[in-house]
Order: sequence, then C-alpha cells, then structure tokens
Amino acid sequence: MILDVKKLETGYGRLRVLTGVDLSVGRESVGLFGPNGAGKTTLINTIMGINKPWSGVVTFDGQDIGGKATHLVARAGIALVPQERELFPGMSVADNLELGAAYVPRAAGIGKRQLDMVLQLFPILKERYRQLVGTMSGGQQRMVAIGRALMANPLLLILDEPSLGLQPSIVAEVFERLARLKKEIAILVTEQNVRESLKAIDRGYVLENGAVALRDTAEGLAKNPHVVSAYLGI
Amino acid sequence: MAMKRRTTILVVLGLAAAFLVALWKPTVLIYGVQQAGLYAAIAIPMGLVLGIVHIVNLAHGEFMMVAAYATYFACRATGLDPLLAVLPSAAVTALLGWVVYKLTIRRALKAPELNQLILTFGIGILLSQGVNLLFTSQTRKISLEYVSASMTIGELSFGVWPFVFVIVATAMAVGLKLFLTRTTTGKAALAVGQNPRGAAIVGIDVDRTYGLVFALAMALVGGMGALFLTRSAIFPGVGGPFTMKSFCLVAMAGIGNIPGILGASLLLGLSESFLRAFRELRGWADIIFFVLIIVVILGRSLKGRKS
Repeated sequence: MILDVKKLETGYGRLRVLTGVDLSVGRESVGLFGPNGAGKTTLINTIMGINKPWSGVVTFDGQDIGGKATHLVARAGIALVPQERELFPGMSVADNLELGAAYVPRAAGIGKRQLDMVLQLFPILKERYRQLVGTMSGGQQRMVAIGRALMANPLLLILDEPSLGLQPSIVAEVFERLARLKKEIAILVTEQNVRESLKAIDRGYVLENGAVALRDTAEGLAKNPHVVSAYLGI
Repeated sequence: MAMKRRTTILVVLGLAAAFLVALWKPTVLIYGVQQAGLYAAIAIPMGLVLGIVHIVNLAHGEFMMVAAYATYFACRATGLDPLLAVLPSAAVTALLGWVVYKLTIRRALKAPELNQLILTFGIGILLSQGVNLLFTSQTRKISLEYVSASMTIGELSFGVWPFVFVIVATAMAVGLKLFLTRTTTGKAALAVGQNPRGAAIVGIDVDRTYGLVFALAMALVGGMGALFLTRSAIFPGVGGPFTMKSFCLVAMAGIGNIPGILGASLLLGLSESFLRAFRELRGWADIIFFVLIIVVILGRSLKGRKS
C-alpha cells in the first residue's frame, strides 16, 4: 500500500469530525464519497498535515507521516489539489507550475519532462503560459492546480472535489484525463459528482458521520442500493 | 489592476511635483530627491515584510538605529569608515532580525492585528530604551570629509553625498524585483506572501520563508543604519520618525508595491523640501507625512463608499 490510514481520529476544538477512519490506497485510483460534513476534506487535510490527528496512524510510502508539517508531507511525495485550489493568483501559470516542482526531491531534474506532460494534458495552459493565474476562469484555475500538483511527480495525487464549480463538459474532460493518469500515479479523489467519478476510479469509500460506512469496487458501488438512492439519485 | 493604477498615480504625481519644484527652485528639487532616496531605502524593507510576512513592523526604524549605534561604536574603536561597516552591520541586524522573528513574531502570526502591532511597538520601545539605558541619550556623530563634498552647476551649489541614498534605494527596488521574480527562493517567498496554505502544499517551508524574509529586510535596514551614520547624528529616538514615515509610504503604495514606494517617497521628499523652503512653514515639514496619509485614506474610503 502507498497510503495507509488506521483508526484516524481528529476534529476542531472539542468537535470530533473523524471517529476512527481506516483507508488505504495502492497503485490504483480510489474515490471518497459522502454527504457534506461527512469529513472528506477533514480526512484529506489530516493526511496532508494541515489538520493534526488526535489519534491513529498515517503511513505513506513506508514512513509515518501522521502529524508531520504540510511541507514535509508534500516533499515526501503527496500532491494535493485542494477544493479552493490555493494557487498564487498574482503569479503566472509558468511560475505556479514551476513552484509545484521546485521543493519536491522526487521532481528534481525532471522538471522539463513533467512540464511537457502537464502542457500536453492541458493545452490551454500552454496558450496562457504567461497569464496571471488570478485573471483566469475557475475551470482554467482548476487545471493550473492539477498541473501544479502533477509537476511534483507525486507518488500519490489527492484531488478534493476537482469538479466543483466546473461546467459539466469540463467535468467529463477532467475525469477523462484523470483516468489516463491513474496508470502511473496513485489517486485519491473526493467528489460530489459520483456518477462521473465512478467511471474513473477502481475502488471507492463512502464516508458518513466521520467513519467509513461502505467500501467496494467501482462496479460494486454502482450497484449498491444505498449508493444508488443516496448518491446517484435514481 | 488597482495596484498598477495606484503606482502610476503616485509616480506621475511625484514627477509632476518634481517638475514644478524644478521650475521654481532647483535646489529644493535636489534636496527633495535626496531625502526621497533616504525614505525609500528605509521604507522598502518595511514594504517587503508587510507584503510577504503580513506584519507591520513598528520596530523598523529602531532596528536601523541599533545598526547605526553598533556601527558607531565599531568605527570609534577601530577608526574605520562607516561605509566599510555597511555589510557587517547588515549581517548583524539580519541575525538580530532572525532571532526576534523566531522568539516573538512567529508566535504572533495568527494573532489579531492589534496584538501584532503592540508586539512590534513593544520591541521598538525595548530597543530604543535599551540603547538609551546603555549609552545615554547623548547625540553621536562621526564626521567624514567626503560627506560635505559639493557640486556647482551654474549658480547652483548642492551636496553630492546624499545622492548615495537615491542610488541605494533604486538598487534595492531593482534588486528585490529581480530576486522575487527571477530566483526560485524569491518566487517561493512571493508565493508565501500570496497564499501561505498553497505554498505549504507544494513543499515550501512557510515558517522558514517568513524568517528569511524578515532577516533579509532587517539586513537591508541594518545596512542603511551604517549608511545613515555617514551623514546624520544619531540618538536613541532617531529611528522613530523613520518607522512612522516608512509606514506612511508603505500605506500610500499599497501592500507589496515596491515601485509605488519609490513614487510615494518622491512625493513625501519633495513636499518636505518644498515646505522647508519657506521660513514660516518650516515646522510643518516634519508632519507633512501625516497630511499625505490622511489624504490617501480619505481618498480610499471615499472610493470605497462609491463602489
């Protein structure tokens, strides 16, 4: 397993949000579903060291990363595409992409290769290479955020609601590109758009009230009556 | 963008003022520009800290004062020229800045802004009163011959040495611009200033970057302390007005706007020099920066009400 989360608990102040989550990601693409407030973003932020775990273990690539500072987690090989994108708005696409690779040892010396790959995946970024990111549309910024994460040559790519605020045609496009990536990079993705994302993942978890309520393969989830009624809206 | 417009307005106003003053009395222009250089060279490091660490350092001028004192005693002991002390002085204040950041400022980064202001204000008092306690409030000066070098063009006669401040301010602005846009460390610092969360998730050590930027700004202001000593007398309270004026200039320029600081400095330097040209208005020169900042804040709030 690349990422192994065991009995993870955390919260804010006295409010417990995660009540013992077990989750693992191998060389595959894993979906993380659940209603608003289930703790998906909290789980991701805790893996990433943005929130500190109260208890439990987070192992990544053989090392214990639970509670480590975010920049160290990033340097170890996890790249995050946050819900709010968290780009550098006053800097160009070029600079945003460059910074994605600059501090990650895994990306050292292969910047050019990664850049070619990203620009091939999102040709629009090539056209807008010198544009300030803050002046771009939400969809284009989402592509910059994914591109910046890929520049790090990550072992694990985490995407938090990659389709949020995107028009449906672009959502399909993003998932099609993610499906292409999953051959090389382990992916953990949270998504409101369960229908689209089931096409791009191998396995999925359903998180409810801070704990894993269900885990299954993509096909299994698509047929599960609870998933169908609660998330696919059929 | 709003920032670009403000820079343009400040630079145009500064140059227009320069032109008018030049028509009327060229020496006033020259002294104004020299003073503007001094102000800009001190305000730019404060702008750097505000732009990236998002802290208003109210001990800014006091760091310069401490550097000037260190230079003074070092030069007295060794007989060397303060100019030779610019780099060592920068190194010493950089170290002092790093320690102050690690011990105090980093603990207040998430605190309310008022607490941050009180913290840096307190550090400033500690520095100025500490110097007062150790070395008394006696005024100290190093006399240097080259400082009084003057130049005559036609009927115009003026001191040349203060132009060094103009050169230093320009070099500082250009150097920082290049550092922030051309080097990886500089880009990372800029990124931290724009979005610390985003910077951490790409692997940038945000805390270390804040510390480095603060130390760099203190190094610049420390170098200025040595340079300041070549021309001016120093006393424990000498930094105070520079803190206030730097704050005024940085507020006029807007966060992270280094060219704007140059324009605002030109405006302030010329205004002071203009007022000093009249015997009966001379006293107003020291507080004209208050008028400027009130005008800027008024203008901004009126614009805010409109939109």
